Amino acid sequence: MSSDQPVTDDPPVLPQGDSIIPTRPFFSRPIGKIFIIWFLMTTVGVLIGIFAPHHLMPTFLTHEGTDVWRTMVLFTILAAPVAAVVYAVAAYSLVGWRHRGNQDEPPPDDGPPLRGNSTVTAIWLGTSTVLVLILLAWGLTVYSAEDVSHANTLQINVTGQQWLWTFQYPGTGVNTRTLVLPVNRPVQFNVTSVDVTHGFWPAALGVQVDANPGVVTVIRATPDKLGTFTVRCSQLCGLYHSFMYAPGSVVTSAKFSQWLQSQGASTTAAEAAAFVKK
Amino acid sequence: MTVDFAPQLLEDTPIGPTAGGLYRRQNVWTGLAAGILLGFVAYLISHATLEGSNWGTDMVVTVTMVGWVVGFNLGVGTFNAPLRWALGHDQTYDDELYAAGVGQGKKRYYKFCTDHKVVGTQYLVLVVVLFGIGGTLAMMMRTQLISPHSSFLSANAYNAIVSIHGMCMIIATIIMVTGPFTNFIMPIMIGAKDMAFPRLNAMSFWVVVSAIPPLLATFVLGGVDAGWTTYAPLSVQAPPAMDAFAITMIVFVISVTVSGVNTIVTIFTMRAKGMTLGRLPIFTWASLVGAALSIYAMPALLIAFTSMITDRVTGTSFFVAGQGGTGWLWENAFWIFGHPEVYIILIPPVGAMLEVASTFARKPLFGYKVTVAGFVAIAALSIMVWAHHMFTTGWAPELAGPFMVTTEIISIPTGIIFLCLIGTIWKGRIWTRLPMYFVYLFLWNFIIGGVTGIYLSDTPADEYFHGDMFVTAHFHYTLLGGAMIAATAGLCYWFPKITGKMLNERIGKTAFWLIAIGIQVTYFGMFWEGFEGMPRRVAFYDPIFQHANDMATGGAYLLMLGWLVLLYAGIESLRHCRTAPANPWHSKTLEWKVPTPVPLVNFLVDPVVTSDPYGYGEPDQVEPVVIPPPDPDRELVPNLSSDKPLARGDE
Repeated sequence: MSSDQPVTDDPPVLPQGDSIIPTRPFFSRPIGKIFIIWFLMTTVGVLIGIFAPHHLMPTFLTHEGTDVWRTMVLFTILAAPVAAVVYAVAAYSLVGWRHRGNQDEPPPDDGPPLRGNSTVTAIWLGTSTVLVLILLAWGLTVYSAEDVSHANTLQINVTGQQWLWTFQYPGTGVNTRTLVLPVNRPVQFNVTSVDVTHGFWPAALGVQVDANPGVVTVIRATPDKLGTFTVRCSQLCGLYHSFMYAPGSVVTSAKFSQWLQSQGASTTAAEAAAFVKK
Repeated sequence: MTVDFAPQLLEDTPIGPTAGGLYRRQNVWTGLAAGILLGFVAYLISHATLEGSNWGTDMVVTVTMVGWVVGFNLGVGTFNAPLRWALGHDQTYDDELYAAGVGQGKKRYYKFCTDHKVVGTQYLVLVVVLFGIGGTLAMMMRTQLISPHSSFLSANAYNAIVSIHGMCMIIATIIMVTGPFTNFIMPIMIGAKDMAFPRLNAMSFWVVVSAIPPLLATFVLGGVDAGWTTYAPLSVQAPPAMDAFAITMIVFVISVTVSGVNTIVTIFTMRAKGMTLGRLPIFTWASLVGAALSIYAMPALLIAFTSMITDRVTGTSFFVAGQGGTGWLWENAFWIFGHPEVYIILIPPVGAMLEVASTFARKPLFGYKVTVAGFVAIAALSIMVWAHHMFTTGWAPELAGPFMVTTEIISIPTGIIFLCLIGTIWKGRIWTRLPMYFVYLFLWNFIIGGVTGIYLSDTPADEYFHGDMFVTAHFHYTLLGGAMIAATAGLCYWFPKITGKMLNERIGKTAFWLIAIGIQVTYFGMFWEGFEGMPRRVAFYDPIFQHANDMATGGAYLLMLGWLVLLYAGIESLRHCRTAPANPWHSKTLEWKVPTPVPLVNFLVDPVVTSDPYGYGEPDQVEPVVIPPPDPDRELVPNLSSDKPLARGDE
């Protein structure tokens, strides 16, 4: 449509004499076209939200990690309609409200002098507030659920140093460079560093905490799937930061016990640590 | 007393010989010479007295860098006026005119010049140079990451480049709008004849210039291997480069603080008659809020880096675990600066971009007051969110919830920017000139940057993404795709006013498409890396991240090409393009009412403002500015340090 022709979706004016209310159908008016663009963009955004995290992120081995994935999906689905409003208006404006013709000269007439609209502003602020409250309710709930200590928690002491990780299993005497976890057993990592700050990041477990010298920081997770993962360092820690990683795996309790014994733990200690019932 | 020169020719007018001496001979070269000399002397003295002691090398580097900074500023003339005043004889009237750039033609751009337009232009060149340095470092990083175990850079060189790329870009983006546009455009916008403190204005520029060589010297002093955030204790143990880095930051804080105070005072005291706060152009509001925020945030950085230097040089232990210190102290101090800092970077360009949006949509700004309130709310909230950078550090886990709340609430005032933007575009007459292209690109990028920021503000999700490439992609979308693109919109918009030439839009639009596509490819590549779990700041990576890195590296080359084409468009326009008229965009703000190029005296007569500058399409359209007839008895003084009449030498 031409830009200099008066737009026809002005707010309905009260009939005065023989003037008429615009009667063009919804989808041929700018607002209708914007709605179509909005709907398509929202659909695309929601589809991205559902599929992208699933395909791009590693398979999470803990329910904390699965929560990360759920958060990504939920937040994207909530954000898509809002982002699509902005994108739809912008996209339509480039087609429907564009100044055609010689771009060296400004448009012959100015746009309507809309200096604000308190209803639109209130709706905008109200919507964003409600969305933020939803995000907060979700985030705080998930976070508080993660921060619970369980009775049968397996303790693992993690020590970072330039540029390797050491995992110590208290009570077994096992001290390794490989992180092996039993499945379905809550685990608490007591993380510290002997030199500079490192970031203890077993990515597929969906948790992370810094290793600070002189302090023990704590993070908990409960593996619920079998699999392998890599522990990486997420804080720049000097020359070979890139090479600071350790292999990790989640195995069954029986295998965990066997592994502990292969690392030098006594049978009793290994079975106690692995919760293997006699 | 009337000055009998034509104000338009003022910068070429010969100036009386009554004053002079050393003062008239100072420029950037004398600054360099004095800086190198004093730095060398400082090196010799400190080397002779301190080398071999416990912290000797760090002390030598620190003293040498301080010597350079002080020497450069002495040599370039930063301290002339205060030194003279301290010696009992103030600057003469001719000195003031000289300092304002009268009678020096193009040479004034290489000098300590108090004219706000010269300072703005100097800042613009500096920003381009800094982006050139930072961009080159970025390309070196992306080239290293072209394959998992590339031998293009050593691990140490990569870490040093990561750190300096980061801080160089942070410095460049903090000054990219407050430097060129707040200095050049903003005073004219509010009808002022200059900034409130012209000497401090020039000082803020030359001080930041003196901060750049120490930043680059880090490469020959062993390299900063701790990232731009220089987390302790790694940074306490870093090579002597870290001392030079800290000096850079301390000097930079001085510059930004001085410039922030100047901006605030200018906006509150130098407005033209009728320029009420409710009629201030939105860019002025944005500059004001950004400046106020920098006054709040910068001291934290000053304290942090001062403590860092004393830890390294004199053996204090603010950040040394086991001796009463902790790295968390550094992280808190750094992010108390660091999070307001991103809004110091963001708010002024957004204000500039909203000026562009209103002009090219030919509509009044939508929700002016709400937008100003949004800026203020962002600034207020931004000082309460810093610990979201520390969700995974283990510090105060109980505070993760409250900081999640404040962080997510900040998205409400940020959303107002989008409301203002699409409300302004709504039913406009979209004039698609180059500046408007960048407004749309801002809109596209900043939504992506904002949404990905919400994932990161969620503590459980941050426990996956923290410290990985997702974060890198997110803040590049906000700072490059958002702030820098908005600043580019402002640059294309004010280019005719600043340079007097129209920008070549044909080349500019080629650059635009390269930049637009380059950003998406590069940073979606980085999002992909982040989803897969690639940590930040690694020189070598697991081959499983290969494809994502290919995408990011390819996009980065495209992006760099785009910026180079834009630079070429600027240079080509300066050399060939047609002369700009005074108001090529038919805009209503005051800077377009003065001639192009802007004469040394901004306004022949003081303007009187009668409305805000957004009266597009209003039926009873009045010109927002009344220019009264010239007063023949009025003294045309370009810009002097105070409004008080100056003692004229011996008269």
